[in-house]
Amino acid sequence: MAEATAAETTGTDEWQPKIVMFCCNWCSYGGADSAGMGRFQQPPTVRVIRVMCSGRMDPVFILNAFLEGADGVLFSGCHIGDCHYVNGNYKATIKYKFLKAMVNELGLEDERLKLDWISASEGERYAEVVTEFTEQIKKVGPSPLKPEGVV
Amino acid sequence: MDIGDCYVGWATDEDIRTRGASGGLVTAMLAAALEKGLVEAVVVLKKLGEFEAVPIVTSDPEEVKATAGSMHSVPIVLSRYLEYGTKVALPAKPCDARSTIEQSKRGQVDIDTTYIVGLNCGGTMHPAGTRDMLDVMYKLDPEDIKGEEIDKGKLIFETKDGEEHAIKIDELEEEGYGRRESCQYCAVNIPRMADIACGNWGVIGDLAGKGTFVEINTDKGIAILENAIDAGAVEITPADDKGKAIREKVDGAMMKVAAAADEKYLSPIEGSHLDYYMNALSDCINCGACKTVCPVCACGEGAKCTEFSSASDTYKMSLFHLVRFVHLMDSCIGCGQCTDVCPVDIPLTHIYRRFAEPMQEEFEYKPGMDMTTPPFFGVDLIEEGH
Repeated sequence: MAEATAAETTGTDEWQPKIVMFCCNWCSYGGADSAGMGRFQQPPTVRVIRVMCSGRMDPVFILNAFLEGADGVLFSGCHIGDCHYVNGNYKATIKYKFLKAMVNELGLEDERLKLDWISASEGERYAEVVTEFTEQIKKVGPSPLKPEGVV
Repeated sequence: MDIGDCYVGWATDEDIRTRGASGGLVTAMLAAALEKGLVEAVVVLKKLGEFEAVPIVTSDPEEVKATAGSMHSVPIVLSRYLEYGTKVALPAKPCDARSTIEQSKRGQVDIDTTYIVGLNCGGTMHPAGTRDMLDVMYKLDPEDIKGEEIDKGKLIFETKDGEEHAIKIDELEEEGYGRRESCQYCAVNIPRMADIACGNWGVIGDLAGKGTFVEINTDKGIAILENAIDAGAVEITPADDKGKAIREKVDGAMMKVAAAADEKYLSPIEGSHLDYYMNALSDCINCGACKTVCPVCACGEGAKCTEFSSASDTYKMSLFHLVRFVHLMDSCIGCGQCTDVCPVDIPLTHIYRRFAEPMQEEFEYKPGMDMTTPPFFGVDLIEEGH
């Protein structure tokens, strides 16, 4: 997997999705750091935005990301039970349920939105999640909500 | 008197009894609440014409008595008229009652000082739509109309020359007239969420047409009815079982009709959902009227939907609407006002219901029915063990 992605990122013409990823400060953002430090290969499709907690995720952020041209949105926090703010990630699951239903009813592909838990030590898992999600988005293609002129 | 008790009541005042609908119980009860100081203000509907009424706030019992007679209006957004904590009584259709309860959850209305006198409702009609309908379906001049009545599934208009013109409601709704769309699929007919539920269903025998069926739902409901009895304004007699059964039957029949309408209007979208929504929203002129009238929106000036979107956005869909979709998924009561006020005729209520219904079903949460917190905000952490 690692070799394949590395080949893709080096100068092929294949369409690369744009993915916005929201990481919580305490776990997933640390996970991203660990992935870098552990030199786990991952596609360069993800733009990470740090939020203090996955519970901070506002539906507005996700909707705005899609409208601005994101092909997919990932959001990630600490594993259930590990939240730095006790239950922020639990709140995130409720918002996720609503957003998922909203995205489906709106007619966006189900694959474009994903919530996952990544802890600060799970660098390898971070790389895996990003790689898998990128593959998933490549299959469904560019987002129909992408504004004109945005690549 | 206990919660759950059912009575049939009427006004003692001859004048109110004849002018008011079904024995004028509601009018008498509201006037008595003002006279005896149970409340400081009453919200009533003032008739503007044969087809329209506006809600007014009054502290004058005479003005309350003057409004006797049935009249429908748009759902009442109580917090717009009154300061928080005002002792107030208001007659309320199920959607009025639900909107009041939702506003109370959002700190806009103090539920403890608000007496909600619920009225049974089988649906309302839009004033402009009714004029159109009279013109197209009945071939009548709207200005000639004297009265309106629903009997045996027919909508009957009486003209000034005393003639009656009847057309079946099903037929009217087939043609896109009749009750507002949101009313057609609304399944809440008896306002059990209000303090006291009043209506003419279940009034039988000699009292038919002369009495109002009353169901007590809360302690406040007991207070307002007992207050009226003490003042000598109304008389009541316990409702018999036959009446109760008939009321349930009417309610059940209405719910069945609503379910059929729900299936008809909210059937799955054929083709691309995204095209459907983009098409529907493409006419939006960003006037914000839908948000202004929304009874469950208490966000005020700094609302997320308006704060983060602007008319100069070049997005394929308006962020304003997307945020409202999410907002209303757990709180839309389906009152239909957004569709009524939209200047470019976007079927907003219809769209909101498409988003809201599956979620409200999944969470088994019906907004406005009681003081339960919406799932979006009310994370029951103890139950979930976190």
